[in-house]
Amino acid sequence: MFRYILKRILIFIPTLLVISIVIFMLGVYAPGDPVINLTAQSGGESMDDKKAGEESYIKKWKELGLNLPTFYLTLSSQADCDTLYRIHRKAHRETLAALTTKFGNWDQVDAYYKKIQSFENTVLNFTPDSASTKPWGRLRDNVGNLYLKSEPKSIENTLSKLDGYVGKINDTLNILSPGLTALNNGYGEVVDKSTTWKNYVPALNWYGLNNRYHKWISRFMVGDFGISYQDRKPISKKIGDNIFWTMLISIISIILTYILAVPLGVFSAVKKGTTADSVTTTFLFILYSLPNFWIATLLIIFLCNPQYLHWFPAFGVGTEAAEGKSMIAALGVRIHHLILPLFCWTYGSLAFLSRQMRGGMLGVLRQDYIRTARAKGLPENKVIWKHAFRNSLLPVITIFANIFPLMISGSVIIEVIFTIPGMGRMLVSAMTAQDFPVVFTIVMMVAVLTMIGYLIADVLYAFVDPRITYSSKK
Amino acid sequence: MLFKKKKKVTETEDKDLPQSYWAYVKRQFRKNKRALYSLYIILFLAVIAIFADFIANDKPLMCKYEGKTYFPVFREYGVKAGLVDWQPELQNAQWYDLEYESAIWAPIPYRNTTIDYNNAPFVGPFEKQDVKSGRWHHLLGTNKIGNDVMACMIHGTRIAFLVGIVSMGIAFVIGIFFGAVAGFFGDDQVKATRGKVLMNILAFPFAIFYFGVFFDKSLWLGILGFIAVFIIANLLAKLFDFIPYMKDKIAVPLDLAITRFIEVVVSVPVLILVLSVVAVFPPSIFLVMGIIGLVRWTGIARFIRAELLRVRSLEYVEAAYALGFPRWRILLKHAIPNALAPVFIAVAFGIAAAILIESFLSFLGFGIPIELNTWGQLLTQSREAPEAWWLAIFPGFAIFITVTLFNLIGEGLTDAIDPRLKQ
Repeated sequence: MFRYILKRILIFIPTLLVISIVIFMLGVYAPGDPVINLTAQSGGESMDDKKAGEESYIKKWKELGLNLPTFYLTLSSQADCDTLYRIHRKAHRETLAALTTKFGNWDQVDAYYKKIQSFENTVLNFTPDSASTKPWGRLRDNVGNLYLKSEPKSIENTLSKLDGYVGKINDTLNILSPGLTALNNGYGEVVDKSTTWKNYVPALNWYGLNNRYHKWISRFMVGDFGISYQDRKPISKKIGDNIFWTMLISIISIILTYILAVPLGVFSAVKKGTTADSVTTTFLFILYSLPNFWIATLLIIFLCNPQYLHWFPAFGVGTEAAEGKSMIAALGVRIHHLILPLFCWTYGSLAFLSRQMRGGMLGVLRQDYIRTARAKGLPENKVIWKHAFRNSLLPVITIFANIFPLMISGSVIIEVIFTIPGMGRMLVSAMTAQDFPVVFTIVMMVAVLTMIGYLIADVLYAFVDPRITYSSKK
Repeated sequence: MLFKKKKKVTETEDKDLPQSYWAYVKRQFRKNKRALYSLYIILFLAVIAIFADFIANDKPLMCKYEGKTYFPVFREYGVKAGLVDWQPELQNAQWYDLEYESAIWAPIPYRNTTIDYNNAPFVGPFEKQDVKSGRWHHLLGTNKIGNDVMACMIHGTRIAFLVGIVSMGIAFVIGIFFGAVAGFFGDDQVKATRGKVLMNILAFPFAIFYFGVFFDKSLWLGILGFIAVFIIANLLAKLFDFIPYMKDKIAVPLDLAITRFIEVVVSVPVLILVLSVVAVFPPSIFLVMGIIGLVRWTGIARFIRAELLRVRSLEYVEAAYALGFPRWRILLKHAIPNALAPVFIAVAFGIAAAILIESFLSFLGFGIPIELNTWGQLLTQSREAPEAWWLAIFPGFAIFITVTLFNLIGEGLTDAIDPRLKQ
């Protein structure tokens, strides 16, 4: 048994590793710049504002650990730069990567990038006279565009535009045009010395442990999930705020499911072939097939609406309505709010479990030892509950495996429809807001709990059915 | 008396019927009336999905305009395929406002994207509608911006079927590949020199690299690059034959490796993973199909593996070996076709699940472009307008029916194929 558990855990490790890498890479390649999401943008135009903005950007960038390589190793081509991660603007990195893929010469691309930067500085430091304020302004606004251009045509276009503006500026000290010439030359170098063949030669870069994935996963393991982009709260606190209702509803729903489904399944198996059985079976099949988000929508429209029937409150968990009421009255309010979500949460698994239970029970009732038990005159009750029931418990356990992940992810859609402040709703709102740290934390937690659920189910199998042994002897 | 006689006739008929496995499965399936009728309804829905453009369209099927006859719906296919252009006089035609000499419209003269400003927001099927005549009545009402719900339902059928079938098609290909390799070759059937094994493992990162490099140009070039690396690696492996240790043949534990891989994929929480992938990338129906296919192939692989473990020791496979057929030929032409039946159980249930996931994503507003007005999207629109009961009832019912029918077919197939029920 112990060896089996160990073996299962050994399988979970690669699974979790794969999931965590997939999720992490999703976060890396997700559109949008996390630093911009987290820093307040000062809209200033002046030199100082720009510098301050850049400084705060770099500070946040370092704080988030984005100045580190992404992963332990990368598989790239000879043309690509292995230290591209040191460039702090995500948009710039993307442009530079596109340029290197196109021309295959990182050295020249890097020089070109540095020339853009120095030219931008020259432009910003330039003090135009009154006549050339306008072209200078245009120049200043357009230099930055070069950072985002990777298509040869649009780069050339921008360069010639810049040339036009520089020509209009009254530049007595001749500061601007050498910079622009250098920039033009830099771009010319990139094009002339293109070594596209380098794109076809692979290169493996090793970065060691000091990388973003390693930091993220080791912090995750000790429960430090990072901060949310939306409200900059620690994610662990957000989870703590939201987990209560999800857990409560899940637990009640699981208990209800087992209390109702097991007897129902046994009943319809024992009464196989009767009208009662066929009615139950058909009813359960329909319940099983009804998508819960449809039923929830129908219930909320037709039972929670003044236009039709207004029997239940349409959303929330009644926090405001319960305030200042006595314990029992408050409990009543809560129950009133939770009946519909609970129903929608439960009926699917109820139907599923009953059907599984019936199937398992039917299989057992056909066995010889049941006939023997009946033949030796045992009362029917004893035959069913003592002999048949215990042996048909396997499906019940399978579902038990799903409980753990369910507790966290909840029934996402039910929480959304009934606006229950739980994990599922938090997940969806984080997705809509592209708040990836929250999304990936929840996904990882669900993955871990799924594994634990499977493990517990496996162990329970062995307890219920002694024939199942996981030792290697068999 | 009559009943008895009839029964006898069918029994004798049974004996004369072809005895092949497929014929047997077909016969068993036909006996299950519920599953059979489900299949018929699904076929009917598939026809609606295929001909959606001819059933609900904002252009006339055929029209006479200024003395000439046009077939705009057909022409649209050509235009979309890039074969032809619109006739210059119809370039930017306002199809509803043209003065036709005669025109044959589709049964529902709207598309899922057509906006009828006169009948928005939320005009019900039984309410008075601002339309030219009864012919233009919105049969199932309209939504907030004035899309015809009936047209959306019909085009939604197409999207649901597309997602279900394409994603399961992807899963089918992946599942068959892994399942067949694992089941047919097992742990001891494939032997290779140590050099070859080593080279193939080493080739893997290179294959991924060249896939990435050529993928920038086109998908097929990428796949070609991927395969080419392995071919070259296997040719290079011949060089190792000079080293005696590397020349030794060892058994490649394919079954073990693939079973472990399946276990890894099975433990992935599908819905949550699909949600987070879809949330990151811009909405695209192809992404949804691809990601569902990539995580839902394990059922298929397990079925075919189990079946092939049985099939590979049967006499006819041994006979094929004895006749000297190459292994790949036996696998592709003899073993797989005879192991496919149980796979269709997984496919039927898989399509149901994929359609459910699609409508789930649509409902939450992830992954499916918002202008498509799929079933799930219509259903979610009903939440902001409780008075629009038609938006709550019809799309949900369509999801329910389609999913249930596929599940019923799956159950029918299980009953027909499961050997435990064989008489």
